Amino acid sequence: MSKILRLFVLMAAMAALVACSSGGKKVTRIESDSVTDLSGKWNDTDSRLVAEEMIQDCIARPWYNKLLNTKNGELPTVVIGSVRNKSHEHINVETFIKDMERALINSGKVDFVANAEERGELRAELASQSGNATEETRKEAGQEIGADLMLTGSLNSIVDQEGGEQVVFYQIDLQLVDIQTHKTVWIGDKKIKKYMSRSSVKM
Amino acid sequence: MKIRFSLLVLCSFFVLACSNKSMVRYEELSKPLQKEGFSGAIHKVQEKKDDLYGDNTKFLYHFDLATLYHYNGDFKKSADEFEKAKQVYEDLYTKSVTNEAASVVTNDNVRPYRARPFEVLAIYEMNIVNYLAMKDIDGALVESRAADIALQALYQKDNKKTNDAGYLRYLIALVYEMEGERDNAAIAYYKTAKAYDEEGTKLPAEAQAFIVNTLEKEGRSDDVKNLKLPNSNVSMALPNAAEAAQGEIVMIGYAGHSAILGEWMLSGTYVRGGILNVMGKNPQTGRVQSLTIPFPATALGSHGGTTVSVTIAVPERKDVPYRVDNFEILVDEKRHAVRPEVYLDNTEHLKKNLEDERATTLGRTAVRVLTRTIAAQQAKKAMETNNIFLNLLTSIGTDVAAGQLEQADLRVALFLPHVVRVARVPAQPGAHTVKVLATDRNGSAVKSYTYTVNVKAGGKAVVVVPAIQ
Repeated sequence: MSKILRLFVLMAAMAALVACSSGGKKVTRIESDSVTDLSGKWNDTDSRLVAEEMIQDCIARPWYNKLLNTKNGELPTVVIGSVRNKSHEHINVETFIKDMERALINSGKVDFVANAEERGELRAELASQSGNATEETRKEAGQEIGADLMLTGSLNSIVDQEGGEQVVFYQIDLQLVDIQTHKTVWIGDKKIKKYMSRSSVKM
Repeated sequence: MKIRFSLLVLCSFFVLACSNKSMVRYEELSKPLQKEGFSGAIHKVQEKKDDLYGDNTKFLYHFDLATLYHYNGDFKKSADEFEKAKQVYEDLYTKSVTNEAASVVTNDNVRPYRARPFEVLAIYEMNIVNYLAMKDIDGALVESRAADIALQALYQKDNKKTNDAGYLRYLIALVYEMEGERDNAAIAYYKTAKAYDEEGTKLPAEAQAFIVNTLEKEGRSDDVKNLKLPNSNVSMALPNAAEAAQGEIVMIGYAGHSAILGEWMLSGTYVRGGILNVMGKNPQTGRVQSLTIPFPATALGSHGGTTVSVTIAVPERKDVPYRVDNFEILVDEKRHAVRPEVYLDNTEHLKKNLEDERATTLGRTAVRVLTRTIAAQQAKKAMETNNIFLNLLTSIGTDVAAGQLEQADLRVALFLPHVVRVARVPAQPGAHTVKVLATDRNGSAVKSYTYTVNVKAGGKAVVVVPAIQ
């Protein structure tokens, strides 16, 4: 057999191999708090770790004890406002907000009230109760606890890339503002830098 | 005997495995599109996913589906499908050696489809509009930033074949303007004018008015002087009216159906001296054209000097029928009809892409066909017996198998509009009725659309008109 014929048969065999290969799916359960990085994009691990670290930093700062003294030991009440996604990825900000809410509540150092959207739903329920629930079980309107502080923030990113290499820098900025005085009592940021590389060829 | 058997099995395998799905995709999908509209086409794409697209064309499956959802007003579903298309595109950054080798013996259809540059840009162009239509400015901003990164990546990958994208830059400027980021909007406007110049496309007069107006007001008069602006004496009346009205209605109209790809079969000979001469009827022009491809004799080793008959298949633009060419817009039936300008011509982008790729495609095709043809001749010799009848059968079988393998890669987005037309109509805050009349080349009415939009103070309401008929 000539060289060309041999080469042709070899390449044809490779083609058959490619055509006949079938991908199998394998599912493995892993811990929800385990660190996973598949695509390099913002993921659940980033959301959880950033929320925990920033909330811990927030409540460990001097404003906390000052406010506690002003309120005669009564826990400050916090509401979470908007956290804007100003990055280059569609990030589910809801999960990040929920992670922060959980970190705040679990700290035991602040009281926490429902956000604007949830309050709307609760008020609708309250209005519904006033006409439908029994007098003994009916909840009264005007008994909400007003928050002392509002937590807001934004998520930014910078991308640098060349060929198969990419560096993504995320910066998460949060600020806590006194609702009465509009005074900013705390500003925190968290930076994450990820390096990703891809090979241009594979077998 | 063993060689004969393996070759026979391989030939049968290829004949079965390599049917060209691209040849039938448009025919299969255009019927439900015409009869049942976008919903019918969406259903058909999903139903025939494996038959019409398959594993190697995942990008186009998600892209076509996203485009149809976009036209159908299912903006969230469209955005989701565009995300999947983006993911496929990213995953295909790494090229498989085995796939590339396989394409040398069969055809380019066995390679995963990696998207043409204008399709990558179309993802962002349509997705920005998706988010604007959903009134999700944050989402549109995310797409704008991602589009900038995608453009950089395209430049780095192949800067000779990539131009900046004027229409995409203009959309980004609109998004920044809606967000109130005037400085970023000014930069994006500046880049818009530069991009149209780089693309070799005339900057629409309306866009020029908004660009100059914004740059002047942001203290960037020097930038205006640096730009090559094609329209002389452009009036600032429209941007001034938009500012005075404290709002705008932005009509984004998709007019007509972009060209797709057809197969151009060329036959000829590889002659001594390393030249491949082929000729065939161009499906687009209808004329018989010939191509001469320099092909070094050394590329085929010891067989370089032989003369062989070959047939090659290359992709060529194929126009598809459509009726809508332009629009007439009436807001609240109070004003004169506005006729929007062309901001993007997808057929021109496809033509440019084919020109850019022509040399590479022809080179690959020539190598493939010549290698295969000479290999087929060798195979015939190896399989020769004393039985003339059997030899004839083997010869015919080998030629048929080799002929079946030759298929052009016709994969391209099927539902892009021929042109995108944009018009910005000043509108005061409040509810407005927008009537859009889609017209043909002669100005005759084809279809009318009516929308009720709510313009917020200082805002822009986006109206999407999907007239790709």
